[in-house]
Amino acid sequence: MNPALTGVLADGGVTTGEAVTFWILAPIALAGAIGMVLLRNAVHSALSLVLTMLSLGVFYVLQAGPFIGMVQIIVYTGAIMMLFLFVIMLVGRNTRDSLIEVLRGQRVAAILLGIGFAMLLGTGLARGIGSIPAVGLAEANVNGNVEGIAKLLFTRYIFAFEVTSALLITAAVGAMILAHVEKKPGEKMDQKVLSRARFEKGNYPGPKAGPGVFATSDSVATPALLPDGTFTERSVSKVVPARELTIAEARPKAVNGSKEYGAIK
Amino acid sequence: MSLDMFGHDPWWLILIKILVVFVFLIVSTILVIWFERRVVGRMQHRPGPNRHGPFGLLQSVADALKLALKEDIMPTLADKAVYFIAPIISAMCAITAWAVIPFGPEVSIFGHKTALQITDLPVAVLVVLACSGLGVYGIVLGGWASGSTYPLLGALRSAAQVISYEVALGLSIVAVFMLSGTMSTSGIVASQAENPAVNIFGLEFNVPGWYAILLFPSFVIFVISMVGETNRAPFDLPEAESELVGGFHTEYSSLKFAMFFLAEYINMFTVSAMCTTLFLGGWRAPWPISIWGAANTGFWPLLWFMGKLVLLMFFFVWLRGTMPRLRYDQFMRLGWKVLIPLNLVWILVVAGIRVSSEQEAGTAKTLIIGGVILLAVGVIFFYPRRKQYQAPAVADLGVGGFPVPPLDLKVPPSPRTKKIAASREATGVSASTTTEEEG
Amino acid sequence: MSLTPYVPLVVLFGLATVFAVFSVTIGPYIGPRRINKAKLEAYECGIEPTPTPPGGSRFPVKFYLTAMLFIIFDIEIVFLYPWAVAFDSLGMFGFVEMLLFIVTVFVAYTYVWRRGGLDWD
Repeated sequence: MNPALTGVLADGGVTTGEAVTFWILAPIALAGAIGMVLLRNAVHSALSLVLTMLSLGVFYVLQAGPFIGMVQIIVYTGAIMMLFLFVIMLVGRNTRDSLIEVLRGQRVAAILLGIGFAMLLGTGLARGIGSIPAVGLAEANVNGNVEGIAKLLFTRYIFAFEVTSALLITAAVGAMILAHVEKKPGEKMDQKVLSRARFEKGNYPGPKAGPGVFATSDSVATPALLPDGTFTERSVSKVVPARELTIAEARPKAVNGSKEYGAIK
Repeated sequence: MSLDMFGHDPWWLILIKILVVFVFLIVSTILVIWFERRVVGRMQHRPGPNRHGPFGLLQSVADALKLALKEDIMPTLADKAVYFIAPIISAMCAITAWAVIPFGPEVSIFGHKTALQITDLPVAVLVVLACSGLGVYGIVLGGWASGSTYPLLGALRSAAQVISYEVALGLSIVAVFMLSGTMSTSGIVASQAENPAVNIFGLEFNVPGWYAILLFPSFVIFVISMVGETNRAPFDLPEAESELVGGFHTEYSSLKFAMFFLAEYINMFTVSAMCTTLFLGGWRAPWPISIWGAANTGFWPLLWFMGKLVLLMFFFVWLRGTMPRLRYDQFMRLGWKVLIPLNLVWILVVAGIRVSSEQEAGTAKTLIIGGVILLAVGVIFFYPRRKQYQAPAVADLGVGGFPVPPLDLKVPPSPRTKKIAASREATGVSASTTTEEEG
Repeated sequence: MSLTPYVPLVVLFGLATVFAVFSVTIGPYIGPRRINKAKLEAYECGIEPTPTPPGGSRFPVKFYLTAMLFIIFDIEIVFLYPWAVAFDSLGMFGFVEMLLFIVTVFVAYTYVWRRGGLDWD
């Protein structure tokens, strides 16, 4: 422990390095938070939230709480990763927020409540910063930060700690209810059942015809021909909407800047 | 050696250390790529790259230069900003983790006493974990931003894989913290120096201090999950060539791809270095060498550290040359149903032994030891195992005899030679019995 | 608690950032540029890429369950770390309370396992 620094901290002052880091990271944290609300792509929003959480983690380290800072980074990395996955699974890759308001009067209520909350926080902070000197940091970290946290967490706040486990159970049950598709005991298809289904009468066991085989064009959207001359719809991916190709589309692609070749004259 | 000795280096010393580590990482990536290709080549009975420079050493340099001079492609459907940021995140996180890896003890550089380690923190191990956690974003975002199907699949797989194995990795370190009582990397190395005396049933003897021996189950779980964490064979599902083309980096080329490549190799070094530090005594000399008094002083430990690192890298390459890729469900089962419960039970066992060794002999001690043993036995006993295969009472004849051949299938004897016909019949019988067993 | 040990960490982070940003930025300038439309399309083994289905490409919600379980265990690990570091000073009391905690979380884990939440097929 640096004695000079301890003196400074006991007076509630900040070192230059601390101040510089704060003034660099505070705007970044704010920008991340604002970006999270304003960005229309859900993944971009999640990313700007990561920025905010990382800055908060560094702030904790600055405030002489390295353990909580690192934990903030580790846990929130995972948490936002979950949010990220959730977005991809729920809304797909390219969806953007729709700006149509569904709840009436929601915007006004949100603004009013937001102002109220900001005032509440502001007054609390103003009182906290203004007069009360920071003391006891050195005593709290005397055996190292991690030991200090452990001492408090596992003796004084033992009840909160044990209740957390109940919270975790709730989370697990909730996730199961939301995301688990229960299968009845006989419903699970094993390899044998699947292979039987494949050789069942009425199902063609061979591989499906490749797209464009025997077709007039080499596009995936063109169905393949069966030996008897009929189209097989199975050869076309379900996501490709069936339609006729224009001549321009069926033409081989040209290289930019070079002479067009293969063009139909 | 304690944490107080860090944070007093002059600025030029900090810069020298950082530059040396940085150059070390880049150069060793190039060397290890060559090493991997040579070793895998030898394992597959072929020479591997041997044309450029002595033993083909310059092959990787040529490859790196070629990669830099390749065309840089930004796909039309890509999310431009995120596509650009993803490789940066990957490389950045991989390199930063090396700030807390201990290379050696306190030495004197230009008259300054300093540790062979960039820095150390009371939460150093957490820094490495945070870096590896953030590094996953590079992979997931790269796959997502490519705007293509295979990379997106690779990214999702990677996210699920890394988070599954990060839990196992995180849990396996708990026992190390318990024994060393610190999270600083230099502290953990120091705590493995002593040979603690262990009292088992009245017999007192000294055990080696390496946590790989003291905490063998933790070590095994750490090694398994570190391979899973770095997306290496046999756990290379996010970039499975035969399934997903290249996985998350299918659409990347040129230096953007190089960044992912670099990050993957540096991550391998990082987990190897962490394995060395946490379980293999860090930079301390292994047993027969450690008898020599000067082995753990000066710059010698660098040699032991590098030796352990190279051995672990060889292990990675060996795995790649030997093991086939796991199926996804097997892979997830190993992570969630084997590694995690085993880990939790092991932590409780270690904690129980440690608590009981502090108690005075008596009822409490017996109770705890008994309880811990009961718990371990119970878990082993109740651990769900695979059902034994039971041959069906009625032979399975398939759907209308197709595609399963009938049990009494008689292969018509070849008219050509009686000799071949006789042997055919024998094999025909054995073949039909095997089909029945496999059912 | 002095902040000086963090300075080298920040410097290495800065160096890594500069290196990565520099490499990724100069990539397009030192390489050739012979771009055509086919090159810029999504790579699907040489065939024309599958268009994204309407509504974006969604994924099985199964991954969400894994992520949620990860968070649960991550929080458990975060509690385990300080407990392990301070284990000797917490003694018997710490052991019993962590035993309770782990057993409670294990209940959740067993529930998910029995319901088939950990099965992939």
